[in-house]
Amino acid sequence: MIEIIYLVIITGGVIFCLMRALMGPTAGDRAVSLDTLSTVTAALLVLAGYVFKRGVYLDVSLVYAALAFLGSVAIARFLEKGI
Amino acid sequence: MIIIITSLVITMLAGAIAACALRDLLSAAIASCLVSLAAAILFYFLQAPDVAMAEASIGAALVTAILVIAIRRTERQE
Repeated sequence: MIEIIYLVIITGGVIFCLMRALMGPTAGDRAVSLDTLSTVTAALLVLAGYVFKRGVYLDVSLVYAALAFLGSVAIARFLEKGI
Repeated sequence: MIIIITSLVITMLAGAIAACALRDLLSAAIASCLVSLAAAILFYFLQAPDVAMAEASIGAALVTAILVIAIRRTERQE
């Protein structure tokens, strides 16, 4: 029961991030929404690993959280005109 | 489970349409990164965590960085 509540809350965060990523007028809005979406997605993967009772699934979340910031760093350096 | 898979497929479709339709190439690269992210989560929920790990590391991080470097070398607006 408590997992469904967690899933609804995380789904709300994903929906708002997707709205900003698809509607955002500038590229900066999309970059920030994508970075937030990466963080929320890591939480979603950990929650799914808890629901499925599989410890292997936590490794995916770890690798994703460790590597997802590279794209955000590249986009941020591009917006600062100095990649 | 079918609701999660359907919403992920709809997200991938919306990101792909946005990547094709946007005139700003940096926004298009971000939209393609969104498609790759949704594909990684879809692989994860289809019981393939190793494929999801490879997709998340290569597709969501490296491809976006390479695309941004390529846009930096050339023009931003299409």
